[in-house]
Amino acid sequence: MTVAEAIEVSGLRKTFHQAGTGAAVLAIERLDFVIRRGEMVAIVGQTGCGKSTFLNLLIGLDRPSAGRIAIDGKTPYDDFASFRGRLAAVFQQDRLLPWRSAVDNVRLPLELLGYERGEQLERARTWLERLGLERFAGAYPHELSGGMRQRVALARAFALQPGLLLADEAFGHLDEVTSAALRQTFVEIARREGNTAVLVTHQLEEAIEMGDRILVFAKPARLLADISLRRWPSAELPGLRAMIQRMLQTNEPDPEIRRREETSR
Amino acid sequence: MKADARAPAGETVEALDARVPFRFPREMVVSLLVLAIAWEILSKFAPPFVVPSWGRIARSLMTLRADFVAITLVRVAGALVLSFVLGLGLAIAMYLSTPIERYGRPVVRLLMAVPVVCWILFAVLWFKWVEVRIAFVLIVVCGPVFLVDFLDGMRAVPKDLRDMLWSFRPTRVQLFAKLILPATLPVILTSWKINLSLAIRVVTIAELVGAVTGIGYGLVVAQELFSVAEVFAWTLVLVAILFVAEAVVSRIEERALRWRV
Repeated sequence: MTVAEAIEVSGLRKTFHQAGTGAAVLAIERLDFVIRRGEMVAIVGQTGCGKSTFLNLLIGLDRPSAGRIAIDGKTPYDDFASFRGRLAAVFQQDRLLPWRSAVDNVRLPLELLGYERGEQLERARTWLERLGLERFAGAYPHELSGGMRQRVALARAFALQPGLLLADEAFGHLDEVTSAALRQTFVEIARREGNTAVLVTHQLEEAIEMGDRILVFAKPARLLADISLRRWPSAELPGLRAMIQRMLQTNEPDPEIRRREETSR
Repeated sequence: MKADARAPAGETVEALDARVPFRFPREMVVSLLVLAIAWEILSKFAPPFVVPSWGRIARSLMTLRADFVAITLVRVAGALVLSFVLGLGLAIAMYLSTPIERYGRPVVRLLMAVPVVCWILFAVLWFKWVEVRIAFVLIVVCGPVFLVDFLDGMRAVPKDLRDMLWSFRPTRVQLFAKLILPATLPVILTSWKINLSLAIRVVTIAELVGAVTGIGYGLVVAQELFSVAEVFAWTLVLVAILFVAEAVVSRIEERALRWRV
């Protein structure tokens, strides 16, 4: 069962207040966009541009200061419980529970949803096998390498069979070989399962490799570009890469990208 | 990669290596033996009412009332379980409610600042029954230690892990059962170790005042009879109880926290 979600973001704004001084810090200036069902969208931006803040709002861990963020018409913060089992996140750090073995970490979300223990274990073992970790089902996180732990975290997310998958710099801290393998696994499984996926990354290569669309965030977050990658043939990708890099440096939209995206719409 | 092909399915080399066989505590035995020999030598030169020989202490040990030991142990166990339940309950209430914590913390600090002797005097003044006095003193001394340790332990659960679990939409009970309590377990066990030794010392002092049973009372009687060997014998019993209790908690800790690096 996979029910992909549609995400609507309109007039989204988020400010934080610094502890002590109480000074307001603008994390998200204004965001408006829609993510369609089954899309794989990569969000790129400078460090500290509000990408992770956006993801936290999407997960429902925080409330927007203004505007609206909705998944299938419901807001993740206010309708918190209605998203049980419908979304799963993979973070930069694996965030495995150190007192649980790999298989017990993978079955955690199923346990929370009240699945029968036999089914939890069966599904968890199946996903560990699919991610090449069947031999390490009984290992504790500290007995596994960084790449293996991240695979367990991926298995935990996939085991839930959520409609919406969120990844926050999930592959960035691994070595290139491990990272590339995991990215490929992620894309393959997400496509096969028909997941909608939102990937936050600061690595342009990763965004181009994995995404159907790239949303480029300014700092503080506002949309600099909404790029549909199928409109860009592979021969033009080096040029696109350079344009995105320029946008990230200048914090301003690129007229060529805007013209091209508007024309093709 | 940390794990390799030497490990059978589902296990890693580290997990296999972690099964260290029992190691004889040579250093501890040697140092205690040296101390015992020095004591025996000293007893040859000092009068028996100052430093009794091991023979005298052993003879006194044989005459000690086992029921007094059992009574003291029951008092300690009962009071510790009550303190644990109260401490855990109040710590959870403080964790969940900022006003409860803000108003509760100063009271807990105040309770912890009052010396044990004062609590014993208050208990004698306030309560008629000896068992209530002893239980009161133990709970008021050990309860706040459990409470503060739990609360700090719960607060120390990494936000990353809380956010991860929260993203799966657990109920509050699930959040506690699956994350907060297991993450706090190391602190809980350390707290038990601290409170075990604290409770055994405090119960002895509490029994000195007003009780007609228990190790503390046995010590009072021995002191009144000028039986130094018996005082030492009771002391040995107390030390042995502490050692055994700590060993039991350490064993539990070893098993419960085998996931630690």
